[in-house]
Amino acid sequence: MRAYLNYFKLRLITNLQYRSAALAGIFTQLFFAALYIMLYLALYESNTGVKAPMDWNSLVTYLWLQQAFFAITYPYLRDNELLSMIQNGNLAYELIRPQNFFLKFYIKMLAERVVATLLRCIPIIIIGMLLPYPYKLCLPPTLGNFLVFMGSLILSCLLVTALSLIVHIITMFTIDSRGITSAYMMIAEVFMGIVVPIPFFPLWMKKVSEYLPFRFIGDFPYRAYSGNIDIMEGKTLLIGSFIWMTLALIFGYLISKYALKKAVIQGG
Amino acid sequence: MVKLYINSFKNNIKIQLEYKASFIMNSISQLFVFFTYYFVIIALFNKFDNIKGFSVYEVLLCFSIIHFGFAFNETFFRGIDKFEDLVIDGSLDRFLVRPQGILFQVLCTKIDFVKIFRILQSLVVMIIALVNLDIHWNIGKVIVLILMMMASVLIFFGLFVLTASYCFITIQGLEVKNLFTDGGKNLAQYPISIYRKGIVIFFTFIIPYGFINYYPLLYFVDRTDNMLYMLSPLLVFIFLIPCLLSFKIGMKHYNSAGS
Repeated sequence: MRAYLNYFKLRLITNLQYRSAALAGIFTQLFFAALYIMLYLALYESNTGVKAPMDWNSLVTYLWLQQAFFAITYPYLRDNELLSMIQNGNLAYELIRPQNFFLKFYIKMLAERVVATLLRCIPIIIIGMLLPYPYKLCLPPTLGNFLVFMGSLILSCLLVTALSLIVHIITMFTIDSRGITSAYMMIAEVFMGIVVPIPFFPLWMKKVSEYLPFRFIGDFPYRAYSGNIDIMEGKTLLIGSFIWMTLALIFGYLISKYALKKAVIQGG
Repeated sequence: MVKLYINSFKNNIKIQLEYKASFIMNSISQLFVFFTYYFVIIALFNKFDNIKGFSVYEVLLCFSIIHFGFAFNETFFRGIDKFEDLVIDGSLDRFLVRPQGILFQVLCTKIDFVKIFRILQSLVVMIIALVNLDIHWNIGKVIVLILMMMASVLIFFGLFVLTASYCFITIQGLEVKNLFTDGGKNLAQYPISIYRKGIVIFFTFIIPYGFINYYPLLYFVDRTDNMLYMLSPLLVFIFLIPCLLSFKIGMKHYNSAGS
Protein backbone atom coordinates (compact mmCIF):
# COMPACT_ATOMS: atom_id res chain seq x y z
CA MET A 1 0.00 0.00 0.00
CA ARG A 2 2.81 2.42 0.90
CA ALA A 3 4.39 1.82 -2.51
CA TYR A 4 1.17 2.76 -4.30
CA LEU A 5 0.71 5.88 -2.21
CA ASN A 6 4.24 7.00 -2.90
CA TYR A 7 3.79 6.32 -6.58
CA PHE A 8 0.63 8.43 -6.51
CA LYS A 9 2.54 11.31 -4.92
CA LEU A 10 5.34 10.95 -7.44
CA ARG A 11 2.92 11.09 -10.35
CA LEU A 12 1.20 14.14 -8.87
CA ILE A 13 4.51 15.98 -8.76
CA THR A 14 5.48 14.88 -12.27
CA ASN A 15 2.19 16.06 -13.70
CA LEU A 16 2.52 19.43 -12.02
CA GLN A 17 5.27 20.15 -14.56
CA TYR A 18 2.69 20.58 -17.29
CA ARG A 19 1.42 23.94 -16.18
CA SER A 20 1.51 25.68 -19.54
CA ALA A 21 -0.67 22.92 -20.98
CA ALA A 22 -3.12 23.67 -18.19
CA LEU A 23 -3.23 27.34 -19.18
CA ALA A 24 -4.15 26.39 -22.73
CA GLY A 25 -6.73 24.05 -21.23
CA ILE A 26 -8.29 26.86 -19.23
CA PHE A 27 -8.73 28.97 -22.35
CA THR A 28 -10.24 26.09 -24.25
CA GLN A 29 -12.64 25.29 -21.44
CA LEU A 30 -13.71 28.92 -21.04
CA PHE A 31 -14.32 29.15 -24.76
CA PHE A 32 -16.51 26.08 -24.78
CA ALA A 33 -18.38 27.16 -21.65
CA ALA A 34 -19.19 30.47 -23.33
CA LEU A 35 -20.11 28.74 -26.59
CA TYR A 36 -22.52 26.27 -25.01
CA ILE A 37 -24.10 28.84 -22.70
CA MET A 38 -24.78 31.18 -25.61
CA LEU A 39 -26.16 28.33 -27.67
CA TYR A 40 -28.61 27.30 -24.98
CA LEU A 41 -29.42 30.93 -24.23
CA ALA A 42 -30.44 31.39 -27.86
CA LEU A 43 -32.56 28.24 -27.68
CA TYR A 44 -34.26 29.29 -24.45
CA GLU A 45 -34.86 32.85 -25.66
CA SER A 46 -36.44 31.79 -28.92
CA ASN A 47 -38.68 29.11 -27.41
CA THR A 48 -40.31 30.88 -24.49
CA GLY A 49 -43.55 28.97 -25.03
CA VAL A 50 -41.93 25.55 -24.72
CA LYS A 51 -41.34 24.10 -21.29
CA ALA A 52 -37.59 23.52 -21.07
CA PRO A 53 -36.42 20.26 -19.51
CA MET A 54 -34.05 22.09 -17.12
CA ASP A 55 -34.44 25.48 -15.49
CA TRP A 56 -31.92 28.06 -16.65
CA ASN A 57 -29.81 28.31 -13.48
CA SER A 58 -29.35 24.54 -13.25
CA LEU A 59 -28.39 24.40 -16.89
CA VAL A 60 -25.79 27.17 -16.75
CA THR A 61 -24.32 25.67 -13.61
CA TYR A 62 -24.25 22.29 -15.31
CA LEU A 63 -22.39 23.69 -18.31
CA TRP A 64 -19.85 25.52 -16.15
CA LEU A 65 -19.12 22.54 -13.93
CA GLN A 66 -18.76 20.32 -16.95
CA GLN A 67 -16.02 22.56 -18.29
CA ALA A 68 -14.37 23.11 -14.90
CA PHE A 69 -14.11 19.39 -14.17
CA PHE A 70 -13.55 18.38 -17.76
CA ALA A 71 -10.29 16.62 -16.95
CA ILE A 72 -11.95 14.47 -14.29
CA THR A 73 -14.85 13.27 -16.33
CA TYR A 74 -13.36 13.07 -19.83
CA PRO A 75 -14.04 9.43 -20.80
CA TYR A 76 -10.68 8.60 -22.34
CA LEU A 77 -7.32 10.19 -21.62
CA ARG A 78 -4.80 8.58 -23.92
CA ASP A 79 -1.73 7.09 -22.25
CA ASN A 80 0.90 6.48 -24.90
CA GLU A 81 3.29 4.74 -22.54
CA LEU A 82 0.72 2.05 -21.95
CA LEU A 83 -0.39 1.76 -25.56
CA SER A 84 3.10 1.44 -27.01
CA MET A 85 4.15 -1.06 -24.36
CA ILE A 86 3.28 -4.06 -26.51
CA GLN A 87 5.11 -2.76 -29.57
CA ASN A 88 8.33 -1.74 -27.87
CA GLY A 89 8.47 -4.66 -25.47
CA ASN A 90 8.47 -2.58 -22.29
CA LEU A 91 5.70 -4.81 -21.06
CA ALA A 92 8.43 -7.23 -19.95
CA TYR A 93 9.57 -4.73 -17.30
CA GLU A 94 6.07 -4.43 -15.96
CA LEU A 95 5.76 -8.18 -15.59
CA ILE A 96 8.77 -8.48 -13.29
CA ARG A 97 7.72 -5.71 -10.93
CA PRO A 98 6.27 -6.72 -7.58
CA GLN A 99 3.43 -4.21 -7.92
CA ASN A 100 0.17 -5.10 -9.56
CA PHE A 101 0.02 -3.97 -13.19
CA PHE A 102 -3.58 -2.78 -13.09
CA LEU A 103 -3.28 -0.86 -9.83
CA LYS A 104 -0.07 0.81 -10.87
CA PHE A 105 -1.50 2.24 -14.07
CA TYR A 106 -4.77 3.02 -12.35
CA ILE A 107 -2.89 5.22 -9.91
CA LYS A 108 -0.88 6.81 -12.69
CA MET A 109 -4.01 7.77 -14.59
CA LEU A 110 -5.79 8.92 -11.47
CA ALA A 111 -2.93 11.25 -10.59
CA GLU A 112 -2.97 12.69 -14.09
CA ARG A 113 -6.65 13.51 -13.85
CA VAL A 114 -6.43 14.93 -10.34
CA VAL A 115 -3.60 17.30 -11.20
CA ALA A 116 -5.11 18.38 -14.51
CA THR A 117 -8.35 19.19 -12.73
CA LEU A 118 -6.77 20.99 -9.80
CA LEU A 119 -4.78 23.22 -12.15
CA ARG A 120 -7.80 24.10 -14.26
CA CYS A 121 -10.94 24.10 -12.19
CA ILE A 122 -10.31 26.98 -9.78
CA PRO A 123 -9.88 29.83 -12.29
CA ILE A 124 -12.81 28.55 -14.31
CA ILE A 125 -15.09 28.36 -11.27
CA ILE A 126 -14.07 31.83 -10.08
CA ILE A 127 -14.72 33.37 -13.49
CA GLY A 128 -18.05 31.56 -13.72
CA MET A 129 -19.13 32.86 -10.32
CA LEU A 130 -18.15 36.45 -11.04
CA LEU A 131 -20.21 36.75 -14.21
CA PRO A 132 -23.65 38.38 -14.10
CA TYR A 133 -27.01 36.63 -14.42
CA PRO A 134 -27.59 34.66 -17.56
CA TYR A 135 -23.98 33.44 -17.43
CA LYS A 136 -23.58 33.03 -13.68
CA LEU A 137 -22.38 29.81 -12.09
CA CYS A 138 -24.70 29.53 -9.08
CA LEU A 139 -23.91 28.25 -5.60
CA PRO A 140 -25.50 24.98 -4.53
CA PRO A 141 -28.84 25.61 -2.76
CA THR A 142 -27.94 23.69 0.40
CA LEU A 143 -24.88 22.14 2.01
CA GLY A 144 -26.46 18.73 1.45
CA ASN A 145 -26.46 19.25 -2.31
CA PHE A 146 -22.83 20.21 -2.17
CA LEU A 147 -21.90 17.11 -0.19
CA VAL A 148 -23.71 14.83 -2.63
CA PHE A 149 -21.91 16.65 -5.44
CA MET A 150 -18.49 16.13 -3.85
CA GLY A 151 -19.17 12.48 -3.12
CA SER A 152 -20.44 11.81 -6.61
CA LEU A 153 -17.54 13.66 -8.21
CA ILE A 154 -14.99 11.56 -6.33
CA LEU A 155 -16.79 8.35 -7.29
CA SER A 156 -17.07 9.63 -10.85
CA CYS A 157 -13.33 10.16 -11.06
CA LEU A 158 -12.60 6.68 -9.68
CA LEU A 159 -15.11 5.12 -12.06
CA VAL A 160 -14.07 6.90 -15.25
CA THR A 161 -10.39 6.17 -14.61
CA ALA A 162 -11.21 2.47 -14.29
CA LEU A 163 -13.23 2.52 -17.52
CA SER A 164 -10.52 4.42 -19.36
CA LEU A 165 -7.91 1.90 -18.23
CA ILE A 166 -10.11 -1.02 -19.25
CA VAL A 167 -10.37 0.44 -22.75
CA HIS A 168 -6.59 0.85 -22.82
CA ILE A 169 -6.06 -2.77 -21.82
CA ILE A 170 -8.52 -4.04 -24.41
CA THR A 171 -6.98 -1.97 -27.18
CA MET A 172 -3.37 -2.68 -26.18
CA PHE A 173 -3.77 -6.11 -27.67
CA THR A 174 -5.41 -5.11 -30.93
CA ILE A 175 -3.64 -3.80 -34.02
CA ASP A 176 -5.53 -0.59 -34.27
CA SER A 177 -7.07 0.99 -31.23
CA ARG A 178 -8.95 3.76 -32.99
CA GLY A 179 -12.09 1.85 -33.89
CA ILE A 180 -12.85 0.56 -30.40
CA THR A 181 -11.75 3.76 -28.75
CA SER A 182 -13.95 6.00 -30.82
CA ALA A 183 -16.95 3.71 -30.42
CA TYR A 184 -16.46 3.83 -26.65
CA MET A 185 -15.92 7.58 -26.77
CA MET A 186 -19.09 8.16 -28.71
CA ILE A 187 -21.26 6.09 -26.41
CA ALA A 188 -19.64 7.56 -23.31
CA GLU A 189 -19.83 11.17 -24.50
CA VAL A 190 -23.45 10.92 -25.47
CA PHE A 191 -24.65 9.05 -22.39
CA MET A 192 -22.71 11.08 -19.87
CA GLY A 193 -24.33 14.18 -21.22
CA ILE A 194 -21.16 15.86 -22.49
CA VAL A 195 -22.88 17.11 -25.59
CA VAL A 196 -26.45 17.41 -24.41
CA PRO A 197 -27.61 16.97 -20.78
CA ILE A 198 -29.67 13.82 -20.20
CA PRO A 199 -32.95 15.67 -19.39
CA PHE A 200 -32.94 16.85 -23.02
CA PHE A 201 -32.85 13.28 -24.35
CA PRO A 202 -35.80 11.61 -26.04
CA LEU A 203 -37.55 9.22 -23.66
CA TRP A 204 -36.14 5.95 -25.00
CA MET A 205 -32.59 7.25 -24.75
CA LYS A 206 -33.19 8.35 -21.18
CA LYS A 207 -34.19 4.76 -20.44
CA VAL A 208 -31.00 3.46 -22.05
CA SER A 209 -28.89 5.91 -20.06
CA GLU A 210 -30.24 4.49 -16.81
CA TYR A 211 -28.69 1.11 -17.55
CA LEU A 212 -25.23 2.47 -18.37
CA PRO A 213 -22.50 3.64 -16.01
CA PHE A 214 -21.84 6.87 -17.90
CA ARG A 215 -24.58 8.96 -16.29
CA PHE A 216 -22.71 8.63 -13.00
CA ILE A 217 -19.64 10.20 -14.56
CA GLY A 218 -20.80 13.39 -16.17
CA ASP A 219 -24.45 13.89 -15.47
CA PHE A 220 -25.22 12.98 -11.87
CA PRO A 221 -22.60 15.16 -10.08
CA TYR A 222 -23.44 18.34 -11.96
CA ARG A 223 -27.18 17.98 -11.59
CA ALA A 224 -26.87 17.05 -7.92
CA TYR A 225 -24.91 20.28 -7.32
CA SER A 226 -27.68 22.55 -8.54
CA GLY A 227 -30.44 20.54 -6.90
CA ASN A 228 -31.82 19.34 -10.21
CA ILE A 229 -31.43 15.91 -8.63
CA ASP A 230 -32.64 16.28 -5.04
CA ILE A 231 -30.72 14.99 -2.04
CA MET A 232 -32.88 11.91 -1.46
CA GLU A 233 -32.53 10.72 -5.04
CA GLY A 234 -28.87 11.70 -4.91
CA LYS A 235 -28.24 9.35 -2.00
CA THR A 236 -29.63 6.37 -3.92
CA LEU A 237 -27.63 7.35 -6.98
CA LEU A 238 -24.48 7.53 -4.87
CA ILE A 239 -24.96 3.86 -4.05
CA GLY A 240 -25.42 3.09 -7.76
CA SER A 241 -22.26 5.02 -8.54
CA PHE A 242 -20.37 3.08 -5.88
CA ILE A 243 -21.57 -0.25 -7.27
CA TRP A 244 -20.53 0.65 -10.81
CA MET A 245 -17.12 1.77 -9.58
CA THR A 246 -16.56 -1.49 -7.71
CA LEU A 247 -17.67 -3.54 -10.70
CA ALA A 248 -15.40 -1.59 -13.03
CA LEU A 249 -12.41 -2.05 -10.74
CA ILE A 250 -12.99 -5.78 -10.34
CA PHE A 251 -13.54 -6.23 -14.07
CA GLY A 252 -10.42 -4.21 -14.89
CA TYR A 253 -8.35 -6.21 -12.43
CA LEU A 254 -9.51 -9.52 -13.85
CA ILE A 255 -9.14 -8.50 -17.48
CA SER A 256 -5.63 -7.20 -16.91
CA LYS A 257 -4.67 -10.51 -15.28
CA TYR A 258 -6.09 -12.44 -18.20
CA ALA A 259 -4.44 -10.14 -20.74
CA LEU A 260 -1.02 -10.40 -19.15
CA LYS A 261 -1.23 -14.16 -19.12
CA LYS A 262 -1.85 -14.09 -22.88
CA ALA A 263 0.71 -11.41 -23.62
CA VAL A 264 3.59 -12.21 -25.91
CA ILE A 265 6.73 -10.19 -25.39
CA GLN A 266 8.11 -8.93 -28.64
CA GLY A 267 10.83 -6.46 -29.36
CA GLY A 268 13.51 -5.56 -26.90
CA MET B 1 1.98 20.21 -60.09
CA VAL B 2 -1.45 18.64 -60.11
CA LYS B 3 0.15 15.47 -61.43
CA LEU B 4 2.64 15.46 -58.56
CA TYR B 5 -0.13 15.90 -56.04
CA ILE B 6 -2.13 13.06 -57.58
CA ASN B 7 0.95 10.86 -57.43
CA SER B 8 1.54 11.54 -53.76
CA PHE B 9 -2.18 11.07 -53.21
CA LYS B 10 -2.00 7.61 -54.73
CA ASN B 11 1.04 6.76 -52.65
CA ASN B 12 -0.67 7.85 -49.47
CA ILE B 13 -3.68 5.69 -50.25
CA LYS B 14 -1.44 2.73 -50.94
CA ILE B 15 0.29 3.18 -47.59
CA GLN B 16 -3.00 3.29 -45.77
CA LEU B 17 -4.43 0.30 -47.60
CA GLU B 18 -1.44 -1.80 -46.58
CA TYR B 19 -3.06 -2.15 -43.17
CA LYS B 20 -6.48 -3.30 -44.23
CA ALA B 21 -8.00 -4.16 -40.85
CA SER B 22 -6.77 -0.88 -39.48
CA PHE B 23 -8.20 0.98 -42.45
CA ILE B 24 -11.63 -0.56 -42.00
CA MET B 25 -11.72 0.07 -38.25
CA ASN B 26 -10.59 3.59 -38.85
CA SER B 27 -13.31 4.23 -41.41
CA ILE B 28 -15.95 2.95 -39.01
CA SER B 29 -14.63 5.18 -36.27
CA GLN B 30 -15.16 8.18 -38.54
CA LEU B 31 -18.87 7.42 -38.51
CA PHE B 32 -18.97 7.51 -34.72
CA VAL B 33 -17.25 10.85 -34.39
CA PHE B 34 -19.53 12.49 -36.87
CA PHE B 35 -22.59 11.01 -35.27
CA THR B 36 -21.96 12.79 -31.96
CA TYR B 37 -22.01 16.15 -33.71
CA TYR B 38 -25.17 15.26 -35.58
CA PHE B 39 -26.83 13.93 -32.44
CA VAL B 40 -26.51 17.26 -30.63
CA ILE B 41 -28.55 19.11 -33.20
CA ILE B 42 -31.19 16.40 -33.54
CA ALA B 43 -31.58 16.06 -29.76
CA LEU B 44 -31.90 19.81 -29.22
CA PHE B 45 -34.44 20.25 -31.97
CA ASN B 46 -36.39 17.39 -30.53
CA LYS B 47 -37.15 19.67 -27.56
CA PHE B 48 -37.13 23.07 -29.25
CA ASP B 49 -38.49 23.97 -32.64
CA ASN B 50 -36.27 26.86 -33.68
CA ILE B 51 -33.14 28.73 -32.71
CA LYS B 52 -33.49 32.49 -33.22
CA GLY B 53 -35.91 31.76 -36.04
CA PHE B 54 -33.80 29.16 -37.79
CA SER B 55 -35.38 25.77 -38.37
CA VAL B 56 -33.63 22.46 -37.90
CA TYR B 57 -32.95 22.02 -41.62
CA GLU B 58 -31.49 25.47 -41.96
CA VAL B 59 -29.17 24.68 -39.07
CA LEU B 60 -28.28 21.34 -40.63
CA LEU B 61 -27.38 23.06 -43.89
CA CYS B 62 -25.18 25.46 -41.96
CA PHE B 63 -23.66 22.52 -40.10
CA SER B 64 -22.99 20.46 -43.21
CA ILE B 65 -21.21 23.29 -44.99
CA ILE B 66 -18.79 23.93 -42.15
CA HIS B 67 -18.11 20.22 -41.69
CA PHE B 68 -17.58 19.78 -45.41
CA GLY B 69 -14.82 22.39 -45.41
CA PHE B 70 -13.18 21.02 -42.30
CA ALA B 71 -13.28 17.41 -43.49
CA PHE B 72 -11.97 18.42 -46.90
CA ASN B 73 -8.95 19.98 -45.26
CA GLU B 74 -8.44 17.03 -42.97
CA THR B 75 -8.48 14.69 -45.94
CA PHE B 76 -6.49 16.45 -48.62
CA PHE B 77 -4.46 19.05 -46.74
CA ARG B 78 -3.64 17.02 -43.66
CA GLY B 79 0.08 17.80 -43.99
CA ILE B 80 -0.35 21.44 -43.03
CA ASP B 81 -2.22 20.48 -39.87
CA LYS B 82 0.76 18.36 -38.82
CA PHE B 83 3.26 21.03 -39.86
CA GLU B 84 4.75 21.31 -36.36
CA ASP B 85 6.14 17.76 -36.68
CA LEU B 86 8.14 18.82 -39.73
CA VAL B 87 9.57 21.82 -37.91
CA ILE B 88 10.34 19.92 -34.71
CA ASP B 89 12.25 17.05 -36.28
CA GLY B 90 13.85 19.22 -38.93
CA SER B 91 12.50 17.36 -41.93
CA LEU B 92 11.38 20.68 -43.33
CA ASP B 93 15.02 21.22 -44.34
CA ARG B 94 14.74 18.57 -47.01
CA PHE B 95 11.91 20.49 -48.63
CA LEU B 96 14.07 23.55 -49.02
CA VAL B 97 16.34 21.88 -51.54
CA ARG B 98 13.59 20.59 -53.78
CA PRO B 99 12.34 22.46 -56.83
CA GLN B 100 8.76 22.91 -55.66
CA GLY B 101 6.96 25.35 -53.40
CA ILE B 102 7.28 24.57 -49.70
CA LEU B 103 3.57 24.77 -49.01
CA PHE B 104 2.84 22.49 -51.91
CA GLN B 105 5.33 19.89 -50.66
CA VAL B 106 3.89 20.08 -47.17
CA LEU B 107 0.45 19.33 -48.56
CA CYS B 108 1.83 16.31 -50.36
CA THR B 109 3.32 14.77 -47.20
CA LYS B 110 0.12 13.51 -45.72
CA ILE B 111 -3.28 12.70 -47.08
CA ASP B 112 -5.61 11.13 -44.58
CA PHE B 113 -7.79 9.15 -46.88
CA VAL B 114 -10.20 7.73 -44.28
CA LYS B 115 -11.40 11.24 -43.50
CA ILE B 116 -13.11 11.13 -46.87
CA PHE B 117 -15.92 9.40 -45.01
CA ARG B 118 -16.49 12.61 -43.10
CA ILE B 119 -16.79 14.51 -46.37
CA LEU B 120 -19.36 12.00 -47.57
CA GLN B 121 -21.30 12.26 -44.32
CA SER B 122 -21.41 16.02 -44.46
CA LEU B 123 -22.71 15.76 -48.01
CA VAL B 124 -25.41 13.34 -46.87
CA VAL B 125 -26.50 15.78 -44.16
CA MET B 126 -26.47 18.56 -46.75
CA ILE B 127 -28.75 16.56 -49.03
CA ILE B 128 -31.12 15.78 -46.15
CA ALA B 129 -31.29 19.49 -45.39
CA LEU B 130 -31.76 20.53 -49.02
CA VAL B 131 -34.51 18.00 -49.68
CA ASN B 132 -36.49 19.17 -46.67
CA LEU B 133 -35.94 22.88 -47.12
CA ASP B 134 -38.28 23.66 -50.02
CA ILE B 135 -35.93 25.88 -51.98
CA HIS B 136 -36.87 27.81 -55.09
CA TRP B 137 -33.88 26.81 -57.14
CA ASN B 138 -32.37 29.22 -59.63
CA ILE B 139 -28.90 29.86 -60.97
CA GLY B 140 -28.10 32.22 -58.09
CA LYS B 141 -28.85 29.54 -55.53
CA VAL B 142 -26.57 27.05 -57.25
CA ILE B 143 -23.75 29.59 -57.36
CA VAL B 144 -24.15 30.55 -53.73
CA LEU B 145 -24.12 26.93 -52.59
CA ILE B 146 -20.91 26.24 -54.49
CA LEU B 147 -19.36 29.44 -53.19
CA MET B 148 -20.24 28.53 -49.61
CA MET B 149 -18.61 25.12 -49.94
CA MET B 150 -15.51 26.60 -51.53
CA ALA B 151 -15.24 29.31 -48.92
CA SER B 152 -15.56 26.72 -46.17
CA VAL B 153 -12.62 24.78 -47.58
CA LEU B 154 -10.59 27.94 -47.98
CA ILE B 155 -11.15 29.38 -44.53
CA PHE B 156 -9.94 26.25 -42.78
CA PHE B 157 -7.01 26.04 -45.14
CA GLY B 158 -6.16 29.63 -44.26
CA LEU B 159 -6.44 28.92 -40.55
CA PHE B 160 -4.25 25.84 -40.79
CA VAL B 161 -1.61 27.81 -42.69
CA LEU B 162 -1.83 30.60 -40.13
CA THR B 163 -1.34 28.26 -37.17
CA ALA B 164 1.41 26.47 -39.07
CA SER B 165 3.31 29.72 -39.49
CA TYR B 166 3.02 30.17 -35.76
CA CYS B 167 5.21 27.07 -35.36
CA PHE B 168 8.15 29.02 -36.76
CA ILE B 169 8.08 31.14 -33.64
CA THR B 170 7.27 28.54 -31.02
CA ILE B 171 8.90 25.46 -32.61
CA GLN B 172 6.02 23.49 -31.17
CA GLY B 173 2.39 22.98 -31.81
CA LEU B 174 0.24 25.42 -29.97
CA GLU B 175 -2.69 23.97 -28.11
CA VAL B 176 -4.64 27.19 -28.29
CA LYS B 177 -4.66 26.92 -32.06
CA ASN B 178 -7.39 24.34 -31.75
CA LEU B 179 -9.64 27.08 -30.44
CA PHE B 180 -9.68 28.77 -33.82
CA THR B 181 -10.02 25.65 -35.93
CA ASP B 182 -11.83 23.09 -33.83
CA GLY B 183 -13.55 25.65 -31.62
CA GLY B 184 -14.48 27.72 -34.63
CA LYS B 185 -15.90 24.67 -36.32
CA ASN B 186 -18.07 23.95 -33.29
CA LEU B 187 -19.22 27.53 -33.10
CA ALA B 188 -19.98 27.93 -36.77
CA GLN B 189 -22.16 24.82 -36.86
CA TYR B 190 -25.00 27.22 -36.09
CA PRO B 191 -25.85 30.49 -37.85
CA ILE B 192 -23.62 32.96 -36.00
CA SER B 193 -26.45 35.40 -35.42
CA ILE B 194 -27.59 33.24 -32.49
CA TYR B 195 -24.55 34.40 -30.49
CA ARG B 196 -23.93 37.71 -28.77
CA LYS B 197 -22.82 40.83 -30.67
CA GLY B 198 -19.13 40.61 -29.82
CA ILE B 199 -18.86 37.07 -31.15
CA VAL B 200 -20.71 37.98 -34.33
CA ILE B 201 -18.36 40.89 -34.99
CA PHE B 202 -15.26 38.82 -34.27
CA PHE B 203 -16.33 35.97 -36.51
CA THR B 204 -17.39 38.32 -39.29
CA PHE B 205 -14.44 40.67 -39.49
CA ILE B 206 -11.48 38.90 -37.85
CA ILE B 207 -12.07 35.26 -38.74
CA PRO B 208 -14.80 35.44 -41.35
CA TYR B 209 -16.88 32.37 -40.49
CA GLY B 210 -19.96 34.48 -41.00
CA PHE B 211 -19.28 34.81 -44.70
CA ILE B 212 -19.28 31.07 -45.14
CA ASN B 213 -22.53 29.86 -43.77
CA TYR B 214 -24.44 32.79 -42.35
CA TYR B 215 -24.71 35.74 -44.74
CA PRO B 216 -24.90 33.57 -47.84
CA LEU B 217 -27.32 31.27 -46.03
CA LEU B 218 -29.70 34.20 -45.60
CA TYR B 219 -29.71 34.62 -49.35
CA PHE B 220 -30.05 30.91 -49.92
CA VAL B 221 -33.16 30.51 -47.77
CA ASP B 222 -34.76 33.67 -49.21
CA ARG B 223 -34.41 35.85 -46.14
CA THR B 224 -32.80 38.50 -48.30
CA ASP B 225 -32.39 39.01 -52.02
CA ASN B 226 -29.41 41.29 -51.75
CA MET B 227 -26.78 40.16 -54.28
CA LEU B 228 -23.99 41.17 -51.91
CA TYR B 229 -25.03 38.43 -49.51
CA MET B 230 -24.79 35.96 -52.32
CA LEU B 231 -21.26 36.99 -53.22
CA SER B 232 -20.06 37.40 -49.63
CA PRO B 233 -18.18 34.06 -49.55
CA LEU B 234 -15.70 35.63 -51.95
CA LEU B 235 -14.46 37.79 -49.07
CA VAL B 236 -12.76 34.71 -47.66
CA PHE B 237 -10.15 35.14 -50.37
CA ILE B 238 -9.10 38.36 -48.65
CA PHE B 239 -8.70 36.42 -45.43
CA LEU B 240 -6.30 34.06 -47.20
CA ILE B 241 -3.85 36.86 -48.01
CA PRO B 242 -2.53 37.50 -44.48
CA CYS B 243 -2.47 33.75 -43.82
CA LEU B 244 -0.27 32.99 -46.79
CA LEU B 245 1.80 36.08 -46.17
CA SER B 246 2.56 35.08 -42.59
CA PHE B 247 3.68 31.68 -43.81
CA LYS B 248 6.00 33.34 -46.28
CA ILE B 249 7.46 35.60 -43.62
CA GLY B 250 7.88 32.65 -41.27
CA MET B 251 9.66 30.71 -43.98
CA LYS B 252 12.06 33.58 -44.57
CA HIS B 253 13.10 33.60 -40.92
CA TYR B 254 13.17 29.84 -40.57
CA ASN B 255 16.07 28.42 -38.58
CA SER B 256 16.40 24.69 -38.67
CA ALA B 257 15.74 23.00 -35.37
CA GLY B 258 16.61 19.46 -36.35
CA SER B 259 19.86 17.68 -36.94
